[in-house]
Amino acid sequence: MVNLKDFFTEVRAGRLTGIRCTQCGELAIPPKEFCGACGKRAWESVALAGEGTIASYTVIRVAPRGHVGQTPYAVAVVRLTEGVSLLGRITDLPLESLRVGLPVRFRPLVSGGETLVGFGPA
Amino acid sequence: MRRVAVIGVGVTKFGKHERSSAELFAEAAREAVLDAGIEPKAVQALYYGNVTGGESERQLHMGPQAATLLGLPTIPTTRFENACATTHAAFRHAVMEVGSGVSDVVVVGGAERILHVPTEHATEYFAYCSDATFEQPTGLTFPGVFALIARAHMEKYGTTEEQMAHVAVKNHRHGVHNPKAQFRKEITTDMVLKSAYVADPLKLFDCCPFTDGGAAVILASEEVARRHRLPVWVLASEAATDTMFMHEKRDLARVTATERAAAAAYRRAGRGPQDVDVVELHDCFTIAEIVATEGLGLFEPGMGGPAAEKGWTSIGGTIPVNPSGGLKAKGHPIGATGAAQVAEIVTQLRGEAGPRQVAGARTGLAHTLGGNTATVLVSLFGRD
Repeated sequence: MVNLKDFFTEVRAGRLTGIRCTQCGELAIPPKEFCGACGKRAWESVALAGEGTIASYTVIRVAPRGHVGQTPYAVAVVRLTEGVSLLGRITDLPLESLRVGLPVRFRPLVSGGETLVGFGPA
Repeated sequence: MRRVAVIGVGVTKFGKHERSSAELFAEAAREAVLDAGIEPKAVQALYYGNVTGGESERQLHMGPQAATLLGLPTIPTTRFENACATTHAAFRHAVMEVGSGVSDVVVVGGAERILHVPTEHATEYFAYCSDATFEQPTGLTFPGVFALIARAHMEKYGTTEEQMAHVAVKNHRHGVHNPKAQFRKEITTDMVLKSAYVADPLKLFDCCPFTDGGAAVILASEEVARRHRLPVWVLASEAATDTMFMHEKRDLARVTATERAAAAAYRRAGRGPQDVDVVELHDCFTIAEIVATEGLGLFEPGMGGPAAEKGWTSIGGTIPVNPSGGLKAKGHPIGATGAAQVAEIVTQLRGEAGPRQVAGARTGLAHTLGGNTATVLVSLFGRD
């Protein structure tokens, strides 16, 4: 099993971890207890390459408290090469260069105690 | 299940208020009780909805508070929270209480008060309705969630920002005729297109406002409803859920929970989208209306944008959507919205909507979406 804490500890170290159901092969992003496809609880952890393309994105210009000083910033859903998707903050890419289908690569965004999934240039 | 009818509706003026959410609810509920023509003491239970009370008003345990202000401090009550679909979820459960025979008369409603806190606080509280582990830490907002959907819809179907603007223009045009609406002013596509980006490609005028307000409806068994002048029957009230994670949505251009809730409601009511005369749906953002009209089967996937542009969803069009002005113009007090949508459909089916009346409406549909498209409620209503 991979819980949230493990997942983000790995993210902090620069690694993306998925889980695969050993009964039906379903690939998922943790955390999960039972497999949504077959109902079994038989996960194994899988290293994800962290490569993918932007499935959709937005540039946030009105932010919640806690992110106000960071605007404008982009958030994207990235389709990973393994077939699962992941939401992350875009980093190190000009906002005007963003488009659906743009190849990106995972990178951890660590500030203080907080760890975020980030995606930057492929 | 016994037949269940709506026999009373009440909605406060939507906008900014200096009263607590419980007070706003009590005003709406009193209006609903009077509209139903029943004694207040006939009400046997309260199904209550509110979303941000813990943060915005430091108030939990809101059901008893609302019941107390209503003058019914001893009736059973529970507070519901399903993000923006809160009060529609409460409505479905209240229908089951009356339908099952547990109670004969139930009040269901809710209220929200949010305009007294700074915008960035309100934005944060609303964002609590998205996932706290992956989504909130990225700074994703609710306009951001629907911007992701909008971008995917534009990419897949060629939907344009101008088509989205037409949704806002139409709902503002409708809202002019709703005395309870927050905005009663027409806007132009040019004003929408020139408004500032909030979360690209969504601009300020693509977004519904923050709103204070309350709404309530009275549900009754058939025996009680028969004594009412114009009972409106609940033909179906169905809910569907989808994954809580944006990263697990298989197709960001669709809201599958809408498709599943609608299919279940049509099946239970023995009706189809072609039978619906008037729709109140969840236009929290203009793209949300476009995707909802497709998910409800009113238009083929990809045709929601062109339909808005061609005026098919206007009063007088082929299928009028949001004659109340929708969330966009009427306003969106998230704990009241579901009940306010039901109230509009009931008013329309009674033929009492005045200058915003959809002529001859006999079957109506209410659709409410909660959070990052994870909760959807669809209810169908009909006249005798």
